[in-house]
Amino acid sequence: MKRFLETGNFAITEGAILAGCRFFCGYPITPATELAEAMSLRLPQVGGVYLQAEDECAAMHLCIGASLGGMKSMTATSGPGFILYADPYGWALGCETPMVVLNSGRVGPVSGITGAPGQGEFYLTRYPTQGGNFETVVLAPNSAQESMKVVVDAFYLSERLRMPITVLADQLITDGMEDISVPETEEEMKEMGFRVWPRSYHRGPDFYPATDALDIPPVQMGHNTGALCSDWTPTEEGYDIEEVEAHHKHAYRLIYKVRNNRHLFSDMHEKRHMGDDPDLVVVSFGTPSRVVNTAVDRARAEGLKVGALRLINLWPFPDELFRRRTTYLVVELNWDGQLVREVQRAAAEGSKVHFLGVCGDLPTIPDLMETFTKLLKNQPLSRKGWELEAW
Amino acid sequence: MKDRTEIVASGFGGQGVVRLGQTLGEAAVKQGLRVTMLKSHGTEMRGGYVRSQVVLSQKPIDSPMCENPDVFLALSAAAYKRFKDTVPPEGLILYDPAFVAEVDTGLKCRQKPLPAKDLAVKHFKRPLFANAIALGALSRLLEGRLDKDKVLESFLEVIPKYKEENRAAFELGYRQVE
Amino acid sequence: MAYASSVLVDKYLRTRKIPSTACSGCGLGMNHKIIVQAIAELGLETQDIIWGTSIGCAGRQTFGTWKGDGFAGTHGRVYAIARGLRVTLPPEKKLILTVGDGDAFGIGLLHLIHCARSNASMTVVVNDNLGYQSTGGQFGFTTPQGAKTDSSPYGMFEHNLMSEGMDVLDILKAAGATFLARHVAMEGQAVVETMKKAISNPGFSLVHMPYPCPTNFAARHLGSRVQVNIYNWIKDHAAPMGQEKPDTIWRTGIYHDARGARPEFSEHVWEAVNRIRRTGRL
Repeated sequence: MKRFLETGNFAITEGAILAGCRFFCGYPITPATELAEAMSLRLPQVGGVYLQAEDECAAMHLCIGASLGGMKSMTATSGPGFILYADPYGWALGCETPMVVLNSGRVGPVSGITGAPGQGEFYLTRYPTQGGNFETVVLAPNSAQESMKVVVDAFYLSERLRMPITVLADQLITDGMEDISVPETEEEMKEMGFRVWPRSYHRGPDFYPATDALDIPPVQMGHNTGALCSDWTPTEEGYDIEEVEAHHKHAYRLIYKVRNNRHLFSDMHEKRHMGDDPDLVVVSFGTPSRVVNTAVDRARAEGLKVGALRLINLWPFPDELFRRRTTYLVVELNWDGQLVREVQRAAAEGSKVHFLGVCGDLPTIPDLMETFTKLLKNQPLSRKGWELEAW
Repeated sequence: MKDRTEIVASGFGGQGVVRLGQTLGEAAVKQGLRVTMLKSHGTEMRGGYVRSQVVLSQKPIDSPMCENPDVFLALSAAAYKRFKDTVPPEGLILYDPAFVAEVDTGLKCRQKPLPAKDLAVKHFKRPLFANAIALGALSRLLEGRLDKDKVLESFLEVIPKYKEENRAAFELGYRQVE
Repeated sequence: MAYASSVLVDKYLRTRKIPSTACSGCGLGMNHKIIVQAIAELGLETQDIIWGTSIGCAGRQTFGTWKGDGFAGTHGRVYAIARGLRVTLPPEKKLILTVGDGDAFGIGLLHLIHCARSNASMTVVVNDNLGYQSTGGQFGFTTPQGAKTDSSPYGMFEHNLMSEGMDVLDILKAAGATFLARHVAMEGQAVVETMKKAISNPGFSLVHMPYPCPTNFAARHLGSRVQVNIYNWIKDHAAPMGQEKPDTIWRTGIYHDARGARPEFSEHVWEAVNRIRRTGRL
C-alpha cells in the first residue's frame, strides 16, 4: 500500500487503471481537466491510450469504439460536457456497451461557475439521453479515497451489467486533496473491497437476448462473429427492426437487467447514528455529506436525535432506505431541489420531507445545526429570504 | 489536544499558499495522520484570494471545510478581512503586516504579526523566501501535532534550488513565534 | 476480374438483407456492389473487414449487409466510433464506412475532419443522394444549386460545399486525408479500381459517390420518378477531371493520392505509447 497526499483526480486515475481501464478519451473542461491530464501521464506507462477528442460527444463515441474493440474505456467531464454525451450515452445503453463516465459537478446552469461545486445533474444522470425505456446506474463518492473504489466498482458493474455506468462527483472531490492509499497487490485490492471483472466477448449469434441475465459478454467487433450493433431497435441477432414486439424485448432487457440485479450495488450507502430510529434523518450525497456527517456528530453530542443517510448508489433510487416514517432533511448543492423530490416520492406515508439547498459552497455546520433544531421543534425553515420549503 | 486541527492559509496568487498547505499535508501523511486539503483558486485573476484549507486528524475526516481554523495565516488584506471572523477565541491569526495594514482589534482570538516579506528581503534579499519563513512559523505553532523535521523535509523535497536559503528561512520563521 | 453478383452475395453478404429495403430504382445498390467488387478483387475475406454505417438512406440500407462484423452510429457519429475502434484493431483489419452526404458533410463533418486529421485508417464511401432523402427529401450541403427539394421549393440557393468553385474534398485534403476520390457508379470498372486503392490505403480514404434517388430528389427536381431520367441527369453532370463541361457539377477521378505519406493514426499512437512505456519518454 502506498500513501499520497493527492487529488481525487489522481485517485480516480489509479482506480481506473487498477480496474483495467486502458483507454481514456476526454476533452478539457474544469474541473475534470486534471483527470484527463493524469490519464495522459499514467496510461502510456501501463500500455494504455489517452486521446483528446474534438468535443465531448466525440470523446464518448471514441470510448464506445474502443470498448467495441475490447478495451475497457472511460471518459470524464463536467455538466456542460455531460449534456454532449446524450447522443453516445444512448447508443452505449442501447448496444449495451460497457464503459465508465465521470461527471464532476460544478455550478450551473450552462457554464455557470467553473471553480465551485454543484449538484445540478442528479436527474440528468438518471436520464442522460432521450427515448426512455432504460435504467441507469449512477454512483456518487464523497471523498478522493472513496472515488477510487467507486470507479473500480463502476468498471465492475459496467462489465457485469453490460452498460455505461456514471460516477457523479463534484469539484471538491476531483480537485480536493486527501491522504490516499493506493493498493499495490491483488490482495490489497481485495482487502479494500475492490471488485474487478475481466472483459470477455460475445460469440453470437444471439447478441441481444431478451433476458435480465447478468454476465452476458459484450458485443465486440473484430472477431468475425457476425456481431451487429446499431442505434436502432435490434433483433436478438442485432439486425435493425421496426417492430414493437422486438422493441418490447429490448426495453425489457435494458430495464430489468438493472432492476433485477440491484443486489450488485444496493449496499452502496452510508448510515450514521441511524440505529435508534432518529427523529430526523439527514439525506445527502457527495461532498456535502461530509459536512452533514460532522454536523450530525455534533448534534448527537448535544443530545439531538439526528441520523445521517448518505447515498452512494443514486440510481436506481434506493426507495427501500426510506421505508420508515420520520422527518427527512435533504441537503444538496442546488437551489432548485432535485434529490428532495425523489426522497419525497420514496418516503413512507406520513413522513415529512424538507429541503436545504446551497450551491457553489458547502452548507456550514451552524446552518445545519440551526436547521436540525428548528425541524425537531417543528419550526418553519427560512434563510436569506429564500423560502426553503417553496420548491 | 482535540483531534481535529484546521489550518487556513490565504493570500494572493503566487505567494505559495497552496504549496504551504500541501507541505503541511504531506508532512502529516508522513506521520500517518489523515489529511484533507481544499484549494480555492481561479478567483485570483480578478484580484480575489487564494486559499488552502487543511484539516489534520488521527481519525477519518468528515468535513474538509475549515469553518473555525486553529491557525489562520493571512497574507493579504482581502484574505484577512474575509476570514478573520471565522477564527475562534482559542485560535490564532498570523498575518504579514506588509500586506495586512489594518488589524481588527475587536477580535477575541490572538493575532500575531509575522513580517515574513520584510524578513525575507532583509536576510535573503528576495521576497520569495517569505513562504519558507511563514512555513517555519506555522510549523512552530503546530508543534505537538506536526513534527518540525517532517515539515522541513516535505518542504525541501519539492524545492528545486536555494535549498540552504530555504532551510535558513524556515528556521528564521520558526524562531519568530513561541 | 469482375465477379458475378451471385458470387459476391454468397461470399460477402447476408441474404437476410437482400433484397434491400431501398426504394425501387434507388442507385445505392450500384455503389454498394462496386465496394464489394473491389473487396473481392483485393482478395479480402469477411474477417478482414469491419463495416460501419451511418444514419439515413445510405447507412440504413447497408447496415447488417456485410457477413462479418458491423456497426451503425447515430447521425454523424459513426466516424468517432470508428476512430475509437481503430485504436483496438490490428493494422491489417480494414474499416469500411458506407454513409450519406448529410451524415458526412453536415452533422458529422467535424468528426470526419478529425478522422482525416489523424489519418485514421478507414475507407469512407459517401453515397450522396443529393440531400436528406430518408426524411422525405430536403436539401443538404452538396445539393446542386437551384435544386428543388421539399425544403427548397424555390430552388436551393444557399452557399454550399459543391458550388461557387468549392469542393468538399478540399476541406478533407487540407485536413490531412491521404486518399480522396469522386465517382459516379456509371463510370464502371474505373470506379472499382479507385475503390481498391482507397481500401488498400493504410490511412484515411474517402470516396464521394453521387447516386440517383428517383423517389424524392428526382420527383421534386426533375418532376419525374422515371429511373432513367435521374440516371442520365447524374451522368450528364459528372465528368472526369480535365474534361469538365460548363454544367459539370461533379469532377470525377482520383482527387488526391498521398497514400503512405503520413503515419497512420492507430499505429502512430501505439508506437508512441510503447515508446513511453519502455523508455518513459516519447
